[in-house]
Amino acid sequence: MSASASVNLSTRIRKRVSGGNRIALLLLRRWDARIAIMIVSLLTLSGVAPETLVGPLQTATTATADALLPPSGTHLFGTDDLGRDLLNLTVHGARISLVVGALSAAITLVIGGGIGMIAGYRGGRVDALLMRVADTFLILPTFVLALILAPILRELIGDQTEIFGIRTTLLTIVAVIGFTSWSSTARIVRSQTLSLRERTFVERARLVGLSPMRIIARHIFPNIRTVLVANGIVVIAGSILTESTLSFIGLGDPFQPSWGTILGNAQSAAAPSLGAWWFIAAPGCAILITVVACTIIGNAIDELLDRDVRVQR
Amino acid sequence: MKARRWLLGRLGGAIATILMVLLLNFVLFRLMPGSPDRALARNPRVSAAAMEAARVRWGLDKPIFPDQLIAYVGATLKGDFGYSVKYGGREVTSVIGEKIGPTLLIVGLGEIIALAAGIALGAWTGWRRGRFGDRVGTLGALILYSMPYFWLGMLLITLFATTLGWLPTSGISTPGGPGGIEGAIDLLRHAALPIATIALGLIGQYAILLRSSVAESLREGYVLTARAKGLRDERILRGHILPNALLPTVTLAALNAGYVIGGALTVEIVFSWPGLGLLTQEALQSRDYPILQGVFLLLSVSVVMANLLADLLYSRLDPRVRHGAAR
Repeated sequence: MSASASVNLSTRIRKRVSGGNRIALLLLRRWDARIAIMIVSLLTLSGVAPETLVGPLQTATTATADALLPPSGTHLFGTDDLGRDLLNLTVHGARISLVVGALSAAITLVIGGGIGMIAGYRGGRVDALLMRVADTFLILPTFVLALILAPILRELIGDQTEIFGIRTTLLTIVAVIGFTSWSSTARIVRSQTLSLRERTFVERARLVGLSPMRIIARHIFPNIRTVLVANGIVVIAGSILTESTLSFIGLGDPFQPSWGTILGNAQSAAAPSLGAWWFIAAPGCAILITVVACTIIGNAIDELLDRDVRVQR
Repeated sequence: MKARRWLLGRLGGAIATILMVLLLNFVLFRLMPGSPDRALARNPRVSAAAMEAARVRWGLDKPIFPDQLIAYVGATLKGDFGYSVKYGGREVTSVIGEKIGPTLLIVGLGEIIALAAGIALGAWTGWRRGRFGDRVGTLGALILYSMPYFWLGMLLITLFATTLGWLPTSGISTPGGPGGIEGAIDLLRHAALPIATIALGLIGQYAILLRSSVAESLREGYVLTARAKGLRDERILRGHILPNALLPTVTLAALNAGYVIGGALTVEIVFSWPGLGLLTQEALQSRDYPILQGVFLLLSVSVVMANLLADLLYSRLDPRVRHGAAR
């Protein structure tokens, strides 16, 4: 008992010295990461409080403007085919896109992290089997699988209700993205776990008699947390892309439109062939900016971690 | 000896993956409300005898496990994918079969163009690592990489078809258009924007990957040797760096096949291109699950094959792989 406590203490100190906080500080020194973090914060802000920024979400009945107006002083981003203000729609879309993206990423990380740590720590047959499954998911056209799974899941869940203010149609999308995109996270976490397993502090914990689950929770997990954060940010970007594609095809929720849903509306309103570029520009740029910013942050953390490893050796 | 075992392992892996896809498809088939034969039940033109025959063939009169699973795998291996709901009970294989060509045309050409351009861009930026050209090129690649395919397609239509009027907005051919050579030109004019969309969407990731592997190769000893020999930059890049740096790109191109196809499906929707993507969307709207599963199965098998091919190619290019030295 006391021995395990002292092991914990030593890893905790080690963490203080080379932990996530230092990476965060180093991150803020890079100008590209600084801009990216600023953009993501702004987007998050509009996702948190869209009502205070642009008022309540406009619907077909509350829209007041004419259809397909190009950008002007009163409608900065123009209006859509129902006369809704695109600035209003895009800011409200931020909430849906970010929440669905973040939740999907969370599920992806839990599944991928769990499977990766178990496979890496247990090794042997468990590892071989789990990685076989992960490789399959890595190769397969998981997007097509998501396309099939989403409506099936919806038919199974049945009636349209809300959980914590998120409609179940969106939750099925979250579940489907989580289920289909965990494999690369599992691969990364597994390789990290493999090298951690041989480190002395894990060996010591094993000698002290800690159970595998406890070693994974107390000694492996804290050491892959930063890697998981770096991967998580990239996964969020991927989830937002997947969500927008699924919504574009028509699997989104018309009552809680995300950026992809708006673009889907633009497609069915034939905006490209009408030359209504503003209908396409605002939500699309929002997706692009978010994904680029997340990718830049993720890559920057990765580079810093790489350098960290090189310095330690 | 080792090489043969490596090959057998790869083959076994591919077969295992396909079996897993079959299992996944089977589970999905049974998860759905209603029986798999409801596509037939909805169609008044299907006789009771034909329905009974299908039920027996799919083993629906027997328990789910293992009889139905075995019957399903057997039927699928024989090319029996079931019947489409939307297309009046037509066989899934025949509905899907006629959509493969158009999809293959735009995905194939798009991929080839993207590989060529991505390799060129990646080599150029990797060689100039850290300089201004690299910064701009890499940011451009990142932006292309982050764009949803369908959005890129919509932008291209707005610019090149609607505003400039250079190319048609959608479809595969002009209705009632000419045949022969003029027809082929018409087809190419319609295919140009979809192909450009897929190519542009893909260039980014190939360029990013090749850039980092070129930049890594620059630190290798053999590059220093080549420099010391007095070789010109272009010779070093072409003869010494690229052959090594290209290897990961081969793998990525194959690994990505599934992802590319997913993106291509949405491109077809934007351009009303009558391929698997448009079929998928129609099937999704009418909840035509047999078609969806047929598409998933077909794409999965093609992707697994592409990966197997890439593995073989990789082992040709890099003997260390098949002899188990590179780990």
